[in-house]
Amino acid sequence: MVSDSDETALRIARLEARVAKLETILAERSRLLRVLTRELCDEDLMNLSLLAGGLPPIARSGFGLLGWRETTALSSGDVDRTMEQLWRSVAPPAPEEE
Amino acid sequence: MTRRRTTLIVLAWNCWDLTKRCLDTLRQTDLTDAEVLVVDNGSTDETPRALRDYAWLKVLTNAANLGYVGGNNAGIEAADPTSDVVLLNNDLEFGQRDWLERLRACAHSAADAGIVGCRLVLPDGRLLHAGTYILPDTMWGQQIGSLEKDIGQYASTREVDGIVFACAYVKREVLQAVGGLSQDFRSYFEDTDFCLRARQAGFRTLLCGEVTLTHNEHGSTRTDSDGFLRVFQESRERFRKKWAKTIEARYGREVLWQSIMNFPSGYATSCREILRALDRGGVRVTYRYVYGPGTPFPVVEPESNGDYLLNVIRNRPSERRPQFGIVYGQGDVFLRNRGRRKVGFTMLEVDGFPRDWVAQANRMDEVWVPTEFNRRGFLESGLKRTISKIPLGVDPNYFHPGIAGHPNPMGEFLFLSNFEWGERKEPWLLLKVFNQEFSAREPVRLLCKIINRDPSVRVLDEIRRLELKESGGRISFLFNREFPYYQLGSFYRSADCFISAGRGEGWDMPLMEAMACGLPTIATDWGAHAEFVTEAISYPLRVKGTIPAVAKCPYYEGFSWADPDPEHLRFLLREVYENREEARRRGAAAAREMAEKWTWDHSAGKILARLEELGG
Repeated sequence: MVSDSDETALRIARLEARVAKLETILAERSRLLRVLTRELCDEDLMNLSLLAGGLPPIARSGFGLLGWRETTALSSGDVDRTMEQLWRSVAPPAPEEE
Repeated sequence: MTRRRTTLIVLAWNCWDLTKRCLDTLRQTDLTDAEVLVVDNGSTDETPRALRDYAWLKVLTNAANLGYVGGNNAGIEAADPTSDVVLLNNDLEFGQRDWLERLRACAHSAADAGIVGCRLVLPDGRLLHAGTYILPDTMWGQQIGSLEKDIGQYASTREVDGIVFACAYVKREVLQAVGGLSQDFRSYFEDTDFCLRARQAGFRTLLCGEVTLTHNEHGSTRTDSDGFLRVFQESRERFRKKWAKTIEARYGREVLWQSIMNFPSGYATSCREILRALDRGGVRVTYRYVYGPGTPFPVVEPESNGDYLLNVIRNRPSERRPQFGIVYGQGDVFLRNRGRRKVGFTMLEVDGFPRDWVAQANRMDEVWVPTEFNRRGFLESGLKRTISKIPLGVDPNYFHPGIAGHPNPMGEFLFLSNFEWGERKEPWLLLKVFNQEFSAREPVRLLCKIINRDPSVRVLDEIRRLELKESGGRISFLFNREFPYYQLGSFYRSADCFISAGRGEGWDMPLMEAMACGLPTIATDWGAHAEFVTEAISYPLRVKGTIPAVAKCPYYEGFSWADPDPEHLRFLLREVYENREEARRRGAAAAREMAEKWTWDHSAGKILARLEELGG
């Protein structure tokens, strides 16, 4: 037989477990957001927010044929940031084979 | 030669934190043959007490705030009467050790150099000031710099209308000739007033681009916006009464310029530059949009392009039939010219001109084109009017070898090409030849900045059809990415060689801009390029001959353009890549030649000379 007080204690325990789980998820989500903010460029962050909100991402100008998005719309940017993104996106040439 | 002693006058009113930063950074610079005088303009904060700890400087304490003018004049009075003075705001920061020596050298570089200012940047790195100008239309002094990112623009020494006196080197001779700052102004306009008085006394105002200081603007007044506005308006009215006639006299002649300014087109970009240069050259230009109904461009042009001078020009009223009208645009809008004397100014990328253009041109008083190539083409197409050559140009303040670039940190050699996708630019040739000539294992890359506005064209499909090899030269693309025009020099400076290997050009501003930046360039040896591309300063790309100009553009029908030689392009790519010393030498020679011969001021000079001959 379970008393009222036992049932209350059980409910509290369940709720506490749920809160703890939510806190863990929240902490993980915060950690992920911190990493994303640190590691992604503004354009990626903007697109992430748009996608999360159910909106289409902004057109990206690809540096190579793989990321190409065919469009007649122009996107604007600053030279310094664009070149920085370009250099981050390209790998140095592979070393000559012996 | 002995160095003139200099008194640095730092005016301070409260805001000790700013004054402290100013003095602490100033102390770290070379102050040879200089003394520092702080004028405490009646500060009520800790300034008077804190200044006692700065034994290396002199302090002049005013019992009350005498304002900017009164405070500085008190400093000038107290300075060594044989010394030059430098007026300094207390919200400056000094990050350049030799700033004083450079300003001093600039001031003493000529007997008529009287006042010298420097570049001022905001703490976030934006360019705040590279001189000032004032237009009679608004009587409101404008700072050159427009809060653009500082990429190294305005790095040379040049004459300007005025400077802001946040930092002003004033030679003793000027003070002897005109006295101190005018008491007509408590604050604001006193600097422009002083420069104008100095000019009347025969002294020029220079902006020394070799010196850059950081200015935390309006340190003392930013917290009091009502006070700022009141003082500003009072000063502006006094200034108008005193100088309106003198400033109006800057213009010697008037023209109506009918063109395109605020849409993305080559004519619009060059139009803006020509209007600025004509204004500098003393022409009061009025402007009207020449396109609209009956043309591919919209009926109405956007009103503003964010440029103060151009917006003022655009909004000036013009006579219904002014004496001189110049239409700058395609030849099929020449008849829209509203002048009593009419000039049509145009260019084309092929070896002749359409019948309609020639018919309209024959109803002008005169026709202008930028190149011998176009002059010949027009005459051969049946032009009967006088035709003069007015070259286009480049702005050496924004395109020079000192502009900051962003090269690949891994040290790859970068070829750069910048074009609109289409038949005329012949991009297929460059992509294919580059990919064939180089291997993916070589530390070299081609960057193509491509624009495509044609919805019927799928650029990706066209590139894929080229079947570029994975193992071939590596190519990156910037597709439909627009940069602010002022930053293009920074883009070019990020590369090692610029390529313009198309079939025909009316002028080719990007090529000229890259050359002005000191890049070695490979350019098709045909058409407009022949005007300024030579072996000594570039790598002219041979053509096999001419072929019919087949493209979507109706203006080209029946004419020809160049057929660039792929084998020679291949040779030149390798040549520039392998012999970098020679490439750099040609690039440096190109930069010198662009600055010496091909600036917009040269273009405006030719326009002025031609108007003079035409009686304008």
